[in-house]
Amino acid sequence: MTERLTNSGKWGAYLEVSAEELCLGDELTMTAIVFGAPIESFTFNFGWSRNNSWDEGEWETTFARAGARTRQSSYTFTPRKPGRYTLYLDVVDENELQMTIQRYVTVLQPNLMPTAQEGGELPTVPGDDVVVSVRDVSMVFNMASEQFNSLKEYAIALARGELRFKEFRALNHINFDVRRGEAFGLVGTNGSGKSTMLKIIAGVLDASEGSCKVHGTIAPLIELGAGFDMELTAAENIYLNGSLLGYRKEFIDEHFDDIVAFAELEEFMDMPLKNYSSGMVARIAFAVATVTEPDILIVDETLSVGDFLFQRKCERRIQELVESKNVTVLLVSHSIELVERICQRVLWIEKGEQRMLGPVDRVCEAYNSLSN
Amino acid sequence: MATDIVQAEKDAATATNASDAWYPTRQRDAYIIKELVSRDFKLKYRRSVLGVAWSVLNPLLMMAVMAAVFSQLMAQRDPSIGNYPLYLILGNTAFTLMNDATAQGMCSIVDASSLLKKVRINRFVFPVQKVLFAMLNYLFSLVAVAIVMLCFHEIPTYHALLLPVPVLLLGVFCVGLALMLSTAAVFFRDIIHLWSVVTIAWMYLTPLFYSISILPDWMVRLELFNPMYHYVTFIRDVMLWHQFPTLTTVAGCSVSAIIALLLGVLVFKKNQRKFILFI
Repeated sequence: MTERLTNSGKWGAYLEVSAEELCLGDELTMTAIVFGAPIESFTFNFGWSRNNSWDEGEWETTFARAGARTRQSSYTFTPRKPGRYTLYLDVVDENELQMTIQRYVTVLQPNLMPTAQEGGELPTVPGDDVVVSVRDVSMVFNMASEQFNSLKEYAIALARGELRFKEFRALNHINFDVRRGEAFGLVGTNGSGKSTMLKIIAGVLDASEGSCKVHGTIAPLIELGAGFDMELTAAENIYLNGSLLGYRKEFIDEHFDDIVAFAELEEFMDMPLKNYSSGMVARIAFAVATVTEPDILIVDETLSVGDFLFQRKCERRIQELVESKNVTVLLVSHSIELVERICQRVLWIEKGEQRMLGPVDRVCEAYNSLSN
Repeated sequence: MATDIVQAEKDAATATNASDAWYPTRQRDAYIIKELVSRDFKLKYRRSVLGVAWSVLNPLLMMAVMAAVFSQLMAQRDPSIGNYPLYLILGNTAFTLMNDATAQGMCSIVDASSLLKKVRINRFVFPVQKVLFAMLNYLFSLVAVAIVMLCFHEIPTYHALLLPVPVLLLGVFCVGLALMLSTAAVFFRDIIHLWSVVTIAWMYLTPLFYSISILPDWMVRLELFNPMYHYVTFIRDVMLWHQFPTLTTVAGCSVSAIIALLLGVLVFKKNQRKFILFI
């Protein structure tokens, strides 16, 4: 398995690893594979860090050790401790154009090595620091060449033998992990597959291939018209919305005032929602979703309907949740500024392909260069 | 491969302040259903002067209209049906329960589409909730039945204690139908229009305002395959005719409920993963 990255079609790179999973004492070899340009023209920086830690002895990079990038396209080391290793590869071409590829491998205690699993499914990562683990996920939609909305049309098409489907790949081999307490962003242009990815994580859509494992409770922001009823009052809607998120009744009773206070809508609680603006509804949605600490908070474009003051307040609350180290925030947006302010790591999906995965500044820079 | 959600709330050992906030899965469904039923209830009567009283008035008025039109025609032809207004209202309310439950249950998944696209909620709660709401309304219409009994000095006997049996069986039957219909409606919206025609035909085929004795023999035999006929007969047996239902009636009620539920669950389970692609 390789993780692929392409650079605006000019050249691209893979990072190949000798094993996805190894025992303590085994050697691990990382190999860079470049296509679209001769490999001699590149320099590489290999790196690893254990359990995403940057403490002494828990990481190493070519650059840190040798003071420069190397021309060698492979690198071997022997992990000394068990854990989850993040492997980094910076590929830099002659024009100093850089790309970063990230992969994960698991190093196990020898006696913990799992036996072969069915269906080639990857074993779950030891420890509970990974809350979302997306492995090789693809989503294929069978699109009828026409949309049938009635039995008659369907029957006619069936009788004529015109019932054809064309395949549409909304997501193609997506791989990433989100750790506990991390703010993770998903960026991409319209129709790139962000929402599809989000639906798979939220558990409402099943991936056609691959697996997506989620550990913990998910709180999405429910938008206007979904978990809200326009005829009901705001107070009644808070209970309705809370129940749909799976909250206990007593819990809502207890935190009702917090929710109202956060939404800053004290005077309007007994007013039917239809008299509210969409921004006011978004306030309630956000207040309900973040009143507790969900394991995973999914924030999408719904947030953008609030005014700037409230958006700032939401951002502060998201920061708070992230700093608590218990809440993972998944942010989906095509507003790159919001992603840059909040997220630490970002995945860029473009036309269903995983374009880039890495620290926020690098990915956002690459993403921005697309628009210029 | 299926998306695998490991709900953290199962982890009672690591219960922190935050995990107190969530219900375990089963209680969660129950609370969602309760909230949705209460939403429907509030919506139905908001901004109406008489409010809940309509649930009682409506069947009464319906009965009054039908009794005025048909009583001369029907009651005199077959005196065995007993008190005609009571005969009417018992049949009508039971049929309305089925009609409301299936019509609303059918659209429930389609109507909840924007929610189902975002939140992982067990999809069956939507059709089931609509059936429960229809049953709640039926309970209110029983007040109307009581009023009719009072007006005509029809005193219920201990047989009336059996009333929950046919009502619950009818509820199960409706859940089965609602599961099937809501699945069908996701894939083909035509069903929604078609079903209203089917229920009208079904209403006329069921002896609601006429007596089964006016039907020709072959139609009487056909009625044995009409589940609604059995439910209505069961209810009238215990409420109007003060007798225990025949074995045929009990069997008709139970078998249709079980078959409908099994089929409904099967169809729903088999297709529910595909819903999201069509709503």
